[in-house]
Amino acid sequence: MTFELTIEPLGQTVDVEEGQTLLDASLRAGVYLPHACGHGLCGTCKVQVLDGEIDHGPISSFALMDFEREEGLCLACCATAESDITIEADIDDEPDARNLPVRSATAIVTRIENLTPTIKGVWAKVDAPEGLPFQAGQYVNVQLPGGQGHRPFSFAQSPSNPHEIELDVRFVPGGVATTWIHEQLAVGDQLQLAGPYGRFHVRASANQPLLFLAGGSGLSSPRSMILDLVEQGCTLPITLVYGARNRDELYYVDEFTRLATEVPTFTYVPTLSHEPDDSDWTGARGFVHDAAKAHFQGDFRGLKAYLCGPPAMIDACISTLMQGRLFERDIYQELFISAADTARARSPLFKRI
Amino acid sequence: MTMTNDATGTAKKKLGLKERYALMTRGLDWETTYQPMEDVFPYATYEGIKVHDWDKWEDPFRLTMDAYWKYQAEKEQKLYAIMDAFAQNNGHLGLTDARYINALKLFLTGVTPLEYMAHRGFAHVGRQLPGVGARVACQMQSLDELRHAQTQIHSMSNYNKLYDGFHSWRHMHDRVWYLSVPKSFFDDAITAGPFEYMIAIGFSFEYVLTNLLFVPFISGAAYNGDMGAMAFGFSAQSDESRHMTLGLEAIKFMLEQDPDNLPIVQHWIDKWFWRGYRVLTLVAMMLDYMLPKKVMSWKEAWEVYAEQNGGALFADLARYGIRPPLGWQQACDDKDHLSHQAWATFYQYQAAAPFHTWVPSEEDMAWQADKYPDTFDKYYRPRFEQWAQMEAEGNRFNNGTLPLLCQVCQIPMLFTEPGDPTRICYRESEYKGETYHTCSDGCKNIFDHEQEKYIQAWLPVHQIYQGNCFGPDADPTSPDFNPLLEVIKWYGYNVGVDNRPYEGSEDQTNFRAWKQQTTSNAPAAG
Repeated sequence: MTFELTIEPLGQTVDVEEGQTLLDASLRAGVYLPHACGHGLCGTCKVQVLDGEIDHGPISSFALMDFEREEGLCLACCATAESDITIEADIDDEPDARNLPVRSATAIVTRIENLTPTIKGVWAKVDAPEGLPFQAGQYVNVQLPGGQGHRPFSFAQSPSNPHEIELDVRFVPGGVATTWIHEQLAVGDQLQLAGPYGRFHVRASANQPLLFLAGGSGLSSPRSMILDLVEQGCTLPITLVYGARNRDELYYVDEFTRLATEVPTFTYVPTLSHEPDDSDWTGARGFVHDAAKAHFQGDFRGLKAYLCGPPAMIDACISTLMQGRLFERDIYQELFISAADTARARSPLFKRI
Repeated sequence: MTMTNDATGTAKKKLGLKERYALMTRGLDWETTYQPMEDVFPYATYEGIKVHDWDKWEDPFRLTMDAYWKYQAEKEQKLYAIMDAFAQNNGHLGLTDARYINALKLFLTGVTPLEYMAHRGFAHVGRQLPGVGARVACQMQSLDELRHAQTQIHSMSNYNKLYDGFHSWRHMHDRVWYLSVPKSFFDDAITAGPFEYMIAIGFSFEYVLTNLLFVPFISGAAYNGDMGAMAFGFSAQSDESRHMTLGLEAIKFMLEQDPDNLPIVQHWIDKWFWRGYRVLTLVAMMLDYMLPKKVMSWKEAWEVYAEQNGGALFADLARYGIRPPLGWQQACDDKDHLSHQAWATFYQYQAAAPFHTWVPSEEDMAWQADKYPDTFDKYYRPRFEQWAQMEAEGNRFNNGTLPLLCQVCQIPMLFTEPGDPTRICYRESEYKGETYHTCSDGCKNIFDHEQEKYIQAWLPVHQIYQGNCFGPDADPTSPDFNPLLEVIKWYGYNVGVDNRPYEGSEDQTNFRAWKQQTTSNAPAAG
């Protein structure tokens, strides 16, 4: 039995299975709730139940007082749902989140292109009058054939075009979804979509210069965000540092180079980590964090940074940003939490990064 | 009821908890005008910590005083209901064995005064830190610590009616040799500046080490049938999430405010990790030797709470440029030895400790060998077997000379050289023509960094030799003057009762007799 868990003040709704804790359901859906001990002793994950029935689970009577139970509080790390429920958690409200409703849609593949030897661009027309509206940085779940579940892919096009979605997909050897997309998907096929999802978006209200750090196929969200910002007439400085292995893996390089000449506030810093030394590449060499450090001379104060790419790149970039005096409150990353991530031991020092 | 709608037709969102709290508490701090700020907060800058914007302090708990009282009142209500029921129903007779009481003696006499010092420390720091968020959080923690001290004193009072060694805990804390270990730890912290105190207690102790103190103790109480101690443990632990979060916020705040703070904070982490780790020696011994029904070994506890959780923390802190504390590796290497070396020391100095010691039974030694396959049989079992044999021959081994104490942690020189468990580790430093002795590289580093502070240490053994630990009626000139006896009288022991081996002690015989009474009609023995 699956219930719906709505998390205020975000207004986001996630699925929670029978017997699954509210905390687990939230974390798996990418919503961070404060928590520490994980077994009902410390009270860090206390949330208010606004509507619905829960089972408190095996919690300490000192961690959740009787008067708190009467007031409808529970500990998310142990509480399970007995109906659809709404909770209010101590999480920051995001004035820039558009909180668009999730909808299901069908789309017909119109074009498939090789962007690099390993990344295919897939364009598909959404079969709905309003298209599939999304906020730049969000993702869509694509249903796999034969009931093999679904996979998330970030929208790569500007949100001003909700009608024809673009998904840039890197081939992962042995990956069910990417093998299907790379080897079987053809123009004219139908895609079953659900979205938009995710809370990775530009914090425009902060009014701070923007830094995008992207690597590999992590370019989709930054591209969508940058195109959106340019269309909106953003006057703040925008920098994109994009890393690929070599020249062949660098994509949309012409588009960003042109954009950099047309838009004086936009700076494009492509960097290659495995380009042969004797090639004619004159741009930056090395990893994204090295290129960013060199470009900003190690001082990132005053920026808002948006990170997208493989975990090792994200981790190196966060360390570099922090040593350049940019901290958690100004760093955002696209998070797809997988089972492997939740298994990794993390301290509660950071909440979002 | 209708929802307020804005122009776009979407429902107006509720304020988040953070926004509501900010609206309620705004303006609680202000720039003083009658007196300069540096006179109002005289300790805010001398440690070298640079703060540019206190508004960047994120109040982690956003708890109002009104709600705070409500929480704590209910905790007290519950706790005392359990403690009263435990006392009225002679809950102590449900304990596994009276040896467990000795673990309690060690914990309650060693830790309770620290809770009180933590109360004082956070009250002081809460007054001295210029930022309002930090001040409010410290105020609450200060009250928590006072509550912990009180509940532990009440628990002690129940046990004091029936068992030996609890009667003079406050007095003993200022005098007894091994109690000077926890005492000097906290005195060291409270005499530091406000930022160092936050790293020492708020971060290093509350975050990195507290689980190693409380979890083994509470689990030990639960495993050995002590519902009373378990209840105050749970009650105290429910405040810990607030304390840990405060410690984490404090370190993040210092590191983010200015790059010059990094080396200062790093040194404090090195220092206070090692100071705290040394105090935990007593916990290691309690876990492995004093609990009749054992919970987990010290080694296992260290692996879970230090290596795993602490490792994850230091991996995250590395992003700020913080490295693991200097003594970390040695502490990990020592996990196979710590408890065995400590218990052997207390066994030898039984006459000077107000709790009972014993040679571990065959069954317990089998447990040790299983938990410590690389070290117990090789290095420690032979010594215990020798002592067991000596006891059987009526010749219990008692060490009659006083040990050299470490100038920093004040623990006798009982730890061995890194990598060689057969050689005692000694370190020396020269300062102003005097030689000072420390037990390890960790303590030597601490000494060498602040000699002026540590040369003032009140070391119990030095004080005995200087004649400062005798009562007014002691007469060193009399022919039958027994210095050790006079010292333990001055410590406030019930001599010959508190400080004797477990075998044949009042605790042992009384517990046995009381247990018997619960199941038979025989008159009480003894």
